[in-house]
Amino acid sequence: MSTETKPKGQLYKQFDRVRGIIRDQFEFLRQDRLATIGIIVVAVFVFLGLFGPALAPHDPIEHDVRNDDGQILRLAEPSGEAVMGTTAFGKDVLSQFLAGAQPTFIVGLFGGIGTGAIGFLIGLVSGYYGGWVDELLMRLTDLTFSLPFMPMALLLLTFVTPNIWLMTAIIAGFLWKMPARVVRSEVLSVRERTFVKSARASGASDLRTMLYHVAPNVLPIGFLYTAYGVAWAIAAQASLAFLGFGDPTMTSWGRMLRQVFESGNMRVAWWWVAPPAIGIAAITTSVFLIGRAYEEVINPEIQTEQ
Amino acid sequence: MSQFQRFLAKRLAISIGLTLIAVSVIFVVLRLLPGSPFEALVTSGNLNQQQINEIRALYGLDQPMWRQYIDYMVSILTFQFGYSILRSQPVWDVLEPRLVNTLILLVPALVTTAILSSALGMYAGWNRGSLLEKSSIITTTFLRSTPVFITAIFFIIVFAYNLELVPAFGMRSVTASPEGYVDTFLSIDFLHHYLLPFTVAVLYYSGDFLLLARNGIVEKRGSEFLKLHKAKGLTEMQQLARAGRNSMLPILTYFALRLGMIFQGLILLEVVFGWPGIGRELVLAIQQQDYPLVQAAVFIMALAVIIANLAADVLYAYFDPTVSTGGGSSA
Repeated sequence: MSTETKPKGQLYKQFDRVRGIIRDQFEFLRQDRLATIGIIVVAVFVFLGLFGPALAPHDPIEHDVRNDDGQILRLAEPSGEAVMGTTAFGKDVLSQFLAGAQPTFIVGLFGGIGTGAIGFLIGLVSGYYGGWVDELLMRLTDLTFSLPFMPMALLLLTFVTPNIWLMTAIIAGFLWKMPARVVRSEVLSVRERTFVKSARASGASDLRTMLYHVAPNVLPIGFLYTAYGVAWAIAAQASLAFLGFGDPTMTSWGRMLRQVFESGNMRVAWWWVAPPAIGIAAITTSVFLIGRAYEEVINPEIQTEQ
Repeated sequence: MSQFQRFLAKRLAISIGLTLIAVSVIFVVLRLLPGSPFEALVTSGNLNQQQINEIRALYGLDQPMWRQYIDYMVSILTFQFGYSILRSQPVWDVLEPRLVNTLILLVPALVTTAILSSALGMYAGWNRGSLLEKSSIITTTFLRSTPVFITAIFFIIVFAYNLELVPAFGMRSVTASPEGYVDTFLSIDFLHHYLLPFTVAVLYYSGDFLLLARNGIVEKRGSEFLKLHKAKGLTEMQQLARAGRNSMLPILTYFALRLGMIFQGLILLEVVFGWPGIGRELVLAIQQQDYPLVQAAVFIMALAVIIANLAADVLYAYFDPTVSTGGGSSA
């Protein structure tokens, strides 16, 4: 038994430590009122992203909303039959809004993580090794800067049927350049610090020094840019969907906006425009507000509080 | 050769290399696309096989791939963009007015926002913790993180549909048919259509400048040279002016970078407002698979960014003595 309890005890300790960290983060964010609001919006969004399609009262694409006489309600204002009104095609806006959160959530989450992870690794390697590795990787970054993101993404999406995973990959494949540059310049300053040099002097390999001594010190900025990456990915996904290059089999907030724009009903159907537009604006802004609260702490140069 | 000249030569060589690679990437992506614009013509039934072959030969599409690549590189790098397949007009004749429309919308917007929001950002940074600082940060965070088409839709609904102050779509009234640029852009009708997209563009760009300026001032706030100025008895505003001058460089370089990206247009802004700019034209060309138009437009966009990048690097190295021009990496 004793052999089992020991790792278990350690596991609990580990668990407590993680919980402590999370609690500290929440404490920190609570001090910034804007960040608190951001956290609430993000929590609601995550909930919608996970359970939205299940909560939707009707199928967002198949179901037609009808009134008591059995007629399809087109462009109906919010009423008992459809709490948030209907679209020009007689679909339920509430259902579309709930179901549409999911692709937005998936692309945002994985696009952001992909952006952060690729950017972090490239920035780390580039900054740590320097020399020709740095030169090569930074020229690659320049290249992705010079190729315009939106047109290139549109081109790639014209010859493959768009699905959300492909969109996630394209978005991460273009956006990693931002964290890469920032992480690299952080690594450049960390690399010169004494503890890194002493690790090298005591015989640690390059890989070990980079991963165990340098990486933890630039991790906060990596997380910060992952958060920004989430907001960028959501914005990019919504923009692509709005231009008509989204996944045709799924309702997303960007696609809802495209349909209302294309059908020319923006002037009248405020109940159709508002939910997806406010949804996208709220989530991207919230992520940035949270990120900014951290940036005030992470960025050493703007810490000169007097 | 001085160190600065060596640095300049190196950056120039890198930029040329980047241009070549970017152009090659465009070629690969475009030739990977399945289907060709001719299929649309063939299925419409207007052409027989012989005519198709003639047109393919005219565009060089019957040549082997490496030959097409060389021809493509030579012509695009000498700015000979060929003929638009669907518009049967020289590509440059299609793109030039669109590019002008984009620049006339976005360059004034960028300059306006660079001046106004940098000034506001500096003032906000100086009064750190004030209501002005907090509210300006929330507003610009909202404006820069929300996709531009959503801001545009909000503005259209409020100002065009509800208040009916300005038109929601296009660059001129349907009835207007001006000749030449001067006639087009110097009219009340144009101004009327211009106001809303201009405002949205100004607001969209404002966030980055504001934060950059604000952070710059916050950094300078406690530094020695400002203490000296304070001891000399300069007023708050005079001190702020000194601090502002010292935090201009990042703003200037960011402005150069943004200026390069303007050639891409703001695709979504142009689409929502129906503004006949280069971004909207490119989306149409992609949908219609008009290769020559697409490759020329993407090439112009990439070139503008590369040149702006070069300019930003050189600006930085020239003005900031702490940047080492000896090292190659000045990302």
